[in-house]
Amino acid sequence: MKIVETKSVVLVVFVALLALLGTYFTMVVPLMDQSLYEPTADATPYSKLELRGKEIYQREGCTYCHTQQVRNLLAETKRYGMGEEETFKRYGVRALIQAPPSQPGEYVYDKPHLLGTRRVGPDLARVGGKYDNSWHINHLRDPRSTSPGSIMPAYSWYFDDRGQPTKDAIALVAYLQKLGTNIKWREQGVARVKNQ
Amino acid sequence: MHEDKSAKWFIFVSIVFFLVTILIGFTMAIKFVFPEFLGGVGIFSFGRIRAIHTNGVLFGWLLAADMGLAYYLVPRLCGVKLFSEKLGIATLLLWVVIVLGAVVTLASGQTQAREYLELVMWLDVLVTVAWVMFAVNIFGTIAKRKYPQMYVSLWYIMGTIFWTALIWIVGNLPVYSGVNDANVNWWFGHNAVGLIFTPLGVATAYYFIPKSTGNPLYSHRLSLIGFWTIAFLYIWTGAHHILFGPIPVWLQTVAIVFSISLLIPVWTVIANFFGTLKGKWAQGNYIVKFLMSGTVFYLLTCIQGPMHSLRSVNQIVSKTDWIPGHAHMAVFGAFSFFAIAGIYFAVPKIYKTTLFSAKLAEWHFWLSFVGFLGFSTSLWIGGFLQGLQWMDHTIAFIDTVKAMSPYYVVRLLSAVLMVAGQLLFALNIFKTARIQAGEPALAA
Repeated sequence: MKIVETKSVVLVVFVALLALLGTYFTMVVPLMDQSLYEPTADATPYSKLELRGKEIYQREGCTYCHTQQVRNLLAETKRYGMGEEETFKRYGVRALIQAPPSQPGEYVYDKPHLLGTRRVGPDLARVGGKYDNSWHINHLRDPRSTSPGSIMPAYSWYFDDRGQPTKDAIALVAYLQKLGTNIKWREQGVARVKNQ
Repeated sequence: MHEDKSAKWFIFVSIVFFLVTILIGFTMAIKFVFPEFLGGVGIFSFGRIRAIHTNGVLFGWLLAADMGLAYYLVPRLCGVKLFSEKLGIATLLLWVVIVLGAVVTLASGQTQAREYLELVMWLDVLVTVAWVMFAVNIFGTIAKRKYPQMYVSLWYIMGTIFWTALIWIVGNLPVYSGVNDANVNWWFGHNAVGLIFTPLGVATAYYFIPKSTGNPLYSHRLSLIGFWTIAFLYIWTGAHHILFGPIPVWLQTVAIVFSISLLIPVWTVIANFFGTLKGKWAQGNYIVKFLMSGTVFYLLTCIQGPMHSLRSVNQIVSKTDWIPGHAHMAVFGAFSFFAIAGIYFAVPKIYKTTLFSAKLAEWHFWLSFVGFLGFSTSLWIGGFLQGLQWMDHTIAFIDTVKAMSPYYVVRLLSAVLMVAGQLLFALNIFKTARIQAGEPALAA
């Protein structure tokens, strides 16, 4: 052991070997795992407008308060699924449709990823299709008008003097509506319930 | 014999960045209570300043302070002058350019949008250049050292120079996508804490605990075990940030196993620190107080960390406010406390005087200590309860947001104490630097 305490080069070489070992197994091996790049059956690349929206989402740091991953936990697949009322209103069936846990194949077109780590606000992985466009516009303009008690900032700089949404606001909403639609889980869930 | 120009200017600049970034953190704490505060302007919105706060505290304050302390202690441990003071000052100037560039780009929304890897490419390149300059200076000093045997602090500093270069360069390569991008992001994010700030914090504590208490290092063997186990174990743990998420299950399990095994390096280092502090607990001045409580917070944060990685605990606390409480215990309670203790020790030595006011430093300690406990405890309690509420899908999400409001108020009030303490710190250090050598310090 004496040599690592007297020869700095030897110490750094050992440190490097140990670090590269862990890096290989936890980073390089997953990078080479082709199954992580297989898109889901319904996955489509972002449109130009949606991609613009994703850039706005990144620029405004939405990811610091909203995750984009439904964890593989019953509490989350239920919470971020489609509630009974909502399913009834839209599909005429009274059933809770659980959101599928997020899968690698849904993210293949994401660069950078926006999985996030913190939920000051709710997860957005399955938000696409949950609300209509005008709800999103109102929510971005004044979050407390649609969600009383919310602590989200009002994104007033995406609206003009007359309160109309700018192109960027419309792009952001298009992006939000795309989230979670790489699996057609609402339609599949309703079909499953109807077949029972 | 030591010029210490690089050491002291790195320290002074880091303190300025500390004040600025902690005030930005304070602004964020206000926004959690009053969401309209400074509203309506992009550059002041939460999503923009959040990255300035985290990057600013990590790279503007803590890393710069630790680099300054390295410029101080490496020449002393080697018994020679710093390799090049000119190179050190050049590194500092580049560092200032980087931090200012980071503030401007992040405020204007230019970001990689990957947590802790936000800085855009040209800044990443500059950081790499600055790091190489730092490495040349440190290795240059070590190469011409008088004592053949290297003290444990030097191992950690040399290790950190390699680890930082590895994770910074590999983490910033623009080649990843999808869930692998998330995996690389957390490979970086977690190793930034574990292989940059932990080893630099431990390196400074290993130097300043024996120096400020007058006790010899408790155990050479423990320092060996602590260093080589962290060098082996830490890098495997990043995926514990994405448990139950869309990454392979084997990867999650590997991360959990290695996270639990991190108790080995942590407890060895802690045992060594406690052993070295033995007999000094009652009579400690402000320096020893910061070192002691930093050691305790390091122990606690590293009990929390492995526990968070257990699936049963993770499903409740992950994504809640518990986590910022935990993160602040590591970065503020442990490693900032170590750096503060080092600065209180080093700056008067550099100026061959005593500290401007020991009384102010005591106030600084208690304000930081009590403020931090209020800050993190409120987030732990609130976050844990919020995690339990999320387990019941019949509770609307917005109701779990409203339930946090009393905890956000306590956090804000605690943050006032933390900010006040750091203002005293800055005042004390800058006053000390202005005392002429040989002049008596303020009686206190």
